[in-house]
Amino acid sequence: MREFDFYSPETVPEACKVLAQHKDSVAIVAGGTDLVLELNERKISPAVIVDVKKLKELEYIRIEDGIVHIGALTTHASIAAAPYIKEHVKILYTACAEIGSPQIRNLGTIGGNLATSSVAGDGVCALTTLYSSVVLTSQRGTRTMKLMDFFAGEGYDKRNALEADELLTEVFFEAPDDHTATAFYKLAKRKSLAISVIGGGMAVKVDEDGVCTWVSMRGGCLGRYPLQFKEAETLLEGQKLTLAQMQKTLPILHDTVLEINRSRPWSVFYKKESVQGVFNKLFAELLDQLQPYV
Amino acid sequence: MKSITISLKINGQEIMTQVRPNKRLVDFLREDLKLTSVKEGCGEGECGACTVIFNGEPVTTCCMLAGQADGAEIITLEGLAKDGKLDAVQQSFMDVGAVQCGFCTPGMILTAKALLMKNPHPTREEIKVAMSGNLCRCTGYAKIQTAVEDAARKSQNA
Repeated sequence: MREFDFYSPETVPEACKVLAQHKDSVAIVAGGTDLVLELNERKISPAVIVDVKKLKELEYIRIEDGIVHIGALTTHASIAAAPYIKEHVKILYTACAEIGSPQIRNLGTIGGNLATSSVAGDGVCALTTLYSSVVLTSQRGTRTMKLMDFFAGEGYDKRNALEADELLTEVFFEAPDDHTATAFYKLAKRKSLAISVIGGGMAVKVDEDGVCTWVSMRGGCLGRYPLQFKEAETLLEGQKLTLAQMQKTLPILHDTVLEINRSRPWSVFYKKESVQGVFNKLFAELLDQLQPYV
Repeated sequence: MKSITISLKINGQEIMTQVRPNKRLVDFLREDLKLTSVKEGCGEGECGACTVIFNGEPVTTCCMLAGQADGAEIITLEGLAKDGKLDAVQQSFMDVGAVQCGFCTPGMILTAKALLMKNPHPTREEIKVAMSGNLCRCTGYAKIQTAVEDAARKSQNA
């Protein structure tokens, strides 16, 4: 690991000040499960590291006016242990409960997961499926943007919109109501200590008669950022939600994955088939959650 | 590069020390504090050999910077035995024969200890989930699981 100066501020304004002072060559460490490895392998060598783990004010899960707010430094373990998330936001519960290992879940934070913006980020896929937004804070002020705009942004390291003097402070999304079901399925080589091969996320809302009024379908590890299955969503919207109707989308999932991943022939033959298995699992779970409406 | 001062509680003892900020926690524990029970396996957070109990939770120290331990309370394997008497988890690993080469053992025992500190009577499934971040390439996992159950029983009777 190359040399660097180390700061561990205790408040957000203090952190923003240090980031602004050193924005020419600075990196933020939260849980460290990605960043410390990158430092150790000398993939990055910033002059300054800002440790944000002491910003206890960014560890929270709050539900206010139908919006779920999660502080960036909330660990995967804390999210998975929160009864509200387990009961009402199944997609995020599963993504956080199955990521890495118990040790990694105790360290890794949801803000770190989003800021790292890995192709295989399980939190990235789950929160994108929920149309979440992020809050970026700096001495210049606060910016709020949709996750997909965040990923499309070209900030200081081109992974996302984050500028070098900014700190991702919060992610928030609309709280799913009792007519909405959400689910995540991780396909990986093992149950634990494995990076996702496909992370499927799906959320669906129905009316009293079980007709789909809104749906969101995303596939992690199938594109640089979670792949949206737009055509499949169109096929479900306005239709009575049944297993047969949901399974009509399977050929679309197959074709979408084949089309998007043509340049990666070594994985596409497996993924175009397995994406259907992943979503079949999700369909069953969502229908189960949506009883008695469907 | 400026050295930093950190203070932490390690195996019950308060210390304050200078450390180079570009040291990982695993290296700080092994090299500076000579706590060599902390093993580095993969160095990527994927094997659990470098696990310690950090503020009551198991974490992999290869994914942390030494500076992040400031203010923390850490338990390593060296901190388990009391007055020359092995901890119940250590004793059970020996009694059951859950150790072969031994490289994964410190991490295994600390993960099990952290589980039992929070949940003294875990189910088999809870043990499996709790231990899922520690890999063993020698014995397989059946005896390790049995050892954790055995330790839970012994602590209950003690």
